[in-house]
Amino acid sequence: MNRRKRGALSRLLLGACAAASLGLVFLRAAPVAQSAPPPSPPAQDPNASCLRCHLRPEIAMTFPNGDALSLTFNEEAYRSSVHGDKLNCLDCHERNRRYPHPLPEVSGRREYSQAQYELCKRCHFKNYTLTLDSVHFEALSKGFTYAPLCTDCHTAHAATPIRESRTQIAQACSKCHEGIYEAYSSSIHGSALREENPDVPVCTTCHGVHNIPSATTASFRLDSLNLCAGCHADKELMDKYGISSNVLKTYLDDFHGKTVGFYQKEGTDVWPDQPVCSDCHGVHDIKAVDDPESRVIKENLLTTCRKCHPDATVNFPSAWLSHYEPSLDKATLVYLVKTYYRFLIPFMVGGLVLYIMVDLWRLARNR
Amino acid sequence: MIKAEAHREGIREVPEPEEFLRFTLGQRLEHWVLVFTFLALVTTGLPQKFHEAAPSLWVISALGGIDNVRLFHRIFATLFIFESSFHLGAIAASVALKRFTPSMIPTPRDFLDAFDWLRYSVGLSSRRPEFDRYDFRQIFEYWGIVFGAVIMIATGLMLWFPTYVTRVLPGEFVAAAKETHSGEALLAFLVIVIWHFYSVVFSPNVFPLDQSMINGKISRERMIEEHLREYMRLMGIKELPAHLSSEPAAGGTAEKPPGG
Repeated sequence: MNRRKRGALSRLLLGACAAASLGLVFLRAAPVAQSAPPPSPPAQDPNASCLRCHLRPEIAMTFPNGDALSLTFNEEAYRSSVHGDKLNCLDCHERNRRYPHPLPEVSGRREYSQAQYELCKRCHFKNYTLTLDSVHFEALSKGFTYAPLCTDCHTAHAATPIRESRTQIAQACSKCHEGIYEAYSSSIHGSALREENPDVPVCTTCHGVHNIPSATTASFRLDSLNLCAGCHADKELMDKYGISSNVLKTYLDDFHGKTVGFYQKEGTDVWPDQPVCSDCHGVHDIKAVDDPESRVIKENLLTTCRKCHPDATVNFPSAWLSHYEPSLDKATLVYLVKTYYRFLIPFMVGGLVLYIMVDLWRLARNR
Repeated sequence: MIKAEAHREGIREVPEPEEFLRFTLGQRLEHWVLVFTFLALVTTGLPQKFHEAAPSLWVISALGGIDNVRLFHRIFATLFIFESSFHLGAIAASVALKRFTPSMIPTPRDFLDAFDWLRYSVGLSSRRPEFDRYDFRQIFEYWGIVFGAVIMIATGLMLWFPTYVTRVLPGEFVAAAKETHSGEALLAFLVIVIWHFYSVVFSPNVFPLDQSMINGKISRERMIEEHLREYMRLMGIKELPAHLSSEPAAGGTAEKPPGG
């Protein structure tokens, strides 16, 4: 690392000297028009020699396969990017130190990106390693040309800290996942995000960032309960929006949840046929439970039940207590049964134990 | 029963049998089928009720996962339904054949017996109630099982076929059925474990095991002690021998077998 840094530094110095001398010549030759920014780069700028050409708007190239690529550099965007004050052109574009630049040994623009993106791991090794476990890398290794590279989400020259705006994350994903983005934007989570709500999940909240797992595996399906519960069982957070935070417990206590809960505990990779949160509430298109479009609003619930219970009739959905704990006003009958046994069982057990004690006492006395 | 039949004619000179047949082979087999299904249903059912307890998870894993457990539970449930139907059928047949002896029908006397037994047990009375073929506890337990079975089978079927149930009943009945099935199961399990196990295993009267459900026999001594009225019917005795009719005051001498 140190050696590399030193090498880079010496190269920078070299470049700087070259640039400076060239710049001086250039400045003498053409007096600068004072009234017109963009300002020319400072004399010591190591990138000056690059910018001499690459700020020109008409500069472009064509790859052997016909892909056209503009070579105009947006200096302002780069300066305000995370790398703007850290990296110089040659840190990444090392091969272009020579002039005329050697032509890239790839046939097209995409191949060029794929060859270049490996550079990121020189500094971002941890995140690069994480990507190796992702569905994106899996697609890449299967030869899927448009599987995303670092630069597809972060851009090459304008990478800003992506946490600054959470909408940016969704937009980055939407470049490929357009349909899902549409569904998400109209969902309760997505529409709140548009107001930059800090609490709602964005793509990465559920799917992870660099090591994005496949969302179609049994294990993802099982873990999805905890994913939702991460926020929806958080009382403080849910109170803020007046939503029940008891949803996971009530689910796990009921028909569907018990089974899925056991699958979770058994650690099997059985695909749970029983519904998980997303089967009733939707995945990316989750609506508020009082939204007329919600799948779980009373009017639509039967349709939702019929996905698994095709012969369900109009009474069927109320077999599910809608995440309510039985009480005197919700699911009264269930509550009464529950209460009945809550008293009967201790009463009965107490009576039987008492009987046994009396019987033993009698036998002891009569011995 | 055959031995007893012979004695019903009441030839008093014949020496009394040392043992009586209490349960026929058919009754014993039926009982063990019930034991087996009950335990299997408890083993596959209770872990579903207590789904958060560690032992539940162990049982479920040992049986190869929750899906297997559900399948086993339903297989044994079917067996249990058949067993119950058989029991009902046997009673119906014996009624039809006019051979029905209503030994399990509770009478006012049984309630009096219960009251008297309590007073006798705590020493408020010296009169020990005498019982027929089944005492009030056995009758109570029998009907507990019968009602329990009716509740368990009905609610179990509701849980098994919820879409059929809700064609007629409100959906909430399914949720209530689940609660009932779960509560009644725990109740039945506790009654069996606490009470029945005491009566047939742990009670000092029978410890280590009441074998009448294995070999079908009961000793004359226990017959006189626990089922005196039945004994008298079988032996054709109309009146109690003096030493049996009047007990000493409670806390007095030991309950000796007759002729001692």
